[in-house]
Amino acid sequence: MKILVTVKEVAEAEDDFDIDGLDIDERYLEFDLNEWDEYAIEEAVQIKEDGDDVEVVSVTIGPERAEETIRMGLAKGVDRAIRVWDDAFADVGMLDPKTKADVLSAVVEDEQPDLVLTGVQAGDDSFGATGVTLAETIDFEWGAVVNALDLDAGAGVASVHRELEGGIEELTDIELPAVLTIQTGINEPRYASLRGIRQAQSKPLDLHELDDLGLEESDLESPLSRTAMYEPESEGDATVFEGSAEETATELASLLRDVGVVEG
Amino acid sequence: MDFELSEEQQQIREEVRRFAENEIKPVATEYDEEEKFPFEVLEAATEMGLNGASIPIEYGGADYSALETAIIVEELFAADPGIALSLTATAFGSDALIEYGTEEQKERFLEPVATGEAIMGAAISEPDTGSDVSSVSTSAEKDGDEWVINGNKMWITNGSVGDYFVAMCETDPDAEGRYNGFSQIVIESDRDGFKSEKITGKLGIRASDTAELIFDDVRVPEDNLVGTRGMGFLQLMQFFDITRTMVAAQGVGIAKGANERALEYAKEREQFGRPIGDFQAIQHKLADMHTQTEAARQLTYKSAWSVENADDQLTTLASMAKEYASRVAVDCANEAVQIHGGSGYVNDFDVERLYRDAKITQIYEGTSEIQKNVIARELMDKGF
Repeated sequence: MKILVTVKEVAEAEDDFDIDGLDIDERYLEFDLNEWDEYAIEEAVQIKEDGDDVEVVSVTIGPERAEETIRMGLAKGVDRAIRVWDDAFADVGMLDPKTKADVLSAVVEDEQPDLVLTGVQAGDDSFGATGVTLAETIDFEWGAVVNALDLDAGAGVASVHRELEGGIEELTDIELPAVLTIQTGINEPRYASLRGIRQAQSKPLDLHELDDLGLEESDLESPLSRTAMYEPESEGDATVFEGSAEETATELASLLRDVGVVEG
Repeated sequence: MDFELSEEQQQIREEVRRFAENEIKPVATEYDEEEKFPFEVLEAATEMGLNGASIPIEYGGADYSALETAIIVEELFAADPGIALSLTATAFGSDALIEYGTEEQKERFLEPVATGEAIMGAAISEPDTGSDVSSVSTSAEKDGDEWVINGNKMWITNGSVGDYFVAMCETDPDAEGRYNGFSQIVIESDRDGFKSEKITGKLGIRASDTAELIFDDVRVPEDNLVGTRGMGFLQLMQFFDITRTMVAAQGVGIAKGANERALEYAKEREQFGRPIGDFQAIQHKLADMHTQTEAARQLTYKSAWSVENADDQLTTLASMAKEYASRVAVDCANEAVQIHGGSGYVNDFDVERLYRDAKITQIYEGTSEIQKNVIARELMDKGF
């Protein structure tokens, strides 16, 4: 059995930052593995540890810098990694979910996985659509926002819990091959062990360019583009009262009176 | 020259830091206040393999070199020295077994440490034996195929929680020469006649267990002798260069932890209508602290690098790094408390604990005065 986990390195901005053109100035960004993808990797590695002959492959679209993040996945038990990149990606800038799904579908075609795990969304652009778009593109069954997964590899069925609004869960059986988008909290992601980090250095991490995937630059043309980046004006300020409850209660009461929440 | 850490080393640093942030920092005050050994944190650390960092792969460790181990030590100590010492010291004494142990000893004693089933320790100091290791008086006499051990060991890390200890014993009191006649012998804590008494009331590193060990006719098999009979002192000296480098890394970690907290506080705390970090008096303190810490770090890394690559300069560098980094740790923790003002004097903030913890790095593994003796001796002997 083969599991493909799609992962993304996301940028997180510091509390104070400057905007440079259409993006946050890179000096204020820290790059790390997308939080949801950590859970997807853990889920895949747990399936591997519980089963026989399961291979876990991760795939990311990202520049060379992303290899550090990918290695962490390898250190946690992913068997090998694929990084898709080409100068063309840098020129395009923003990738919409459909374009990403097209690129990933080429990887799925090569790898022929039985199960594809993605994070529900990426913490930076938060489209939350790449996983299901990929499923439609490759014509796999899919389940979104999965917060519990019980896989019967023999029968080729994934029994999942899906998190719906209002604390409701949907229980569904999904036939493989399938794409599942994994919700945080489904498991407890491990720390990479020192031995794992050591072993990860010699695991395969292959670079695929557009040519290798049978794609062309025109395949990266996206109907979406970013037109502006700005920091919204804050519309209200938080007031913090310091001191004991006795002291601050009076201050809170007068504030509530001033802004008209209570009368009298 | 190359001052960049490898990708692998950076990954180790980041993951250990993540572990320390999540698993150590939130509970550090509790273990310090209660002076209790952090078994729960150790369990989590075992999953990550932190207790077997330098143990060879075939015995369940990660076989990392001194430089990687120094990076791990630095990150853990930056979070909390008491818990950090508890985690990293579970393999105390393992150096001797790795270098001089038999295959059977390695399997018996190293594997359980790497897998978290056992805690070990090194037992050298005695009530009357500190810096002068050659005055060890714990005796081991051969009786048939056993060693019979009598004596007291003092200030032993993991003394009341450890499963076995590599102990320095006098086996041949009549041997010629001051440094001959000592041997390293593994003593298990479940042997008859083994007693330990936990030492409480330490100034710092209070999560770490420290005890006095009492051996009263303790019998261990002759196979528990590590290396060559009579060579214990010389075997021990081999590792001082490494262990001192690790204490230097502890100092760098404490300084780093103090600096980070001081910087954060200086940005947040406001007086006279602005953050105190806007004042030059505070800025200069922060600049000095970070500069000294970086200097200590480079000295420590060079010493750690020398363990594998340049043995001829190692002894001098290890003592330089240990003396300097421990001093920087004490100074930076002191300044961090100063920057925190009144808040730094109570344990609502971590710097109070770091201030108490820092001092031990100038004392154990050879006091600062001993380090200077070593540096001077190396200078004189080599005719620099």
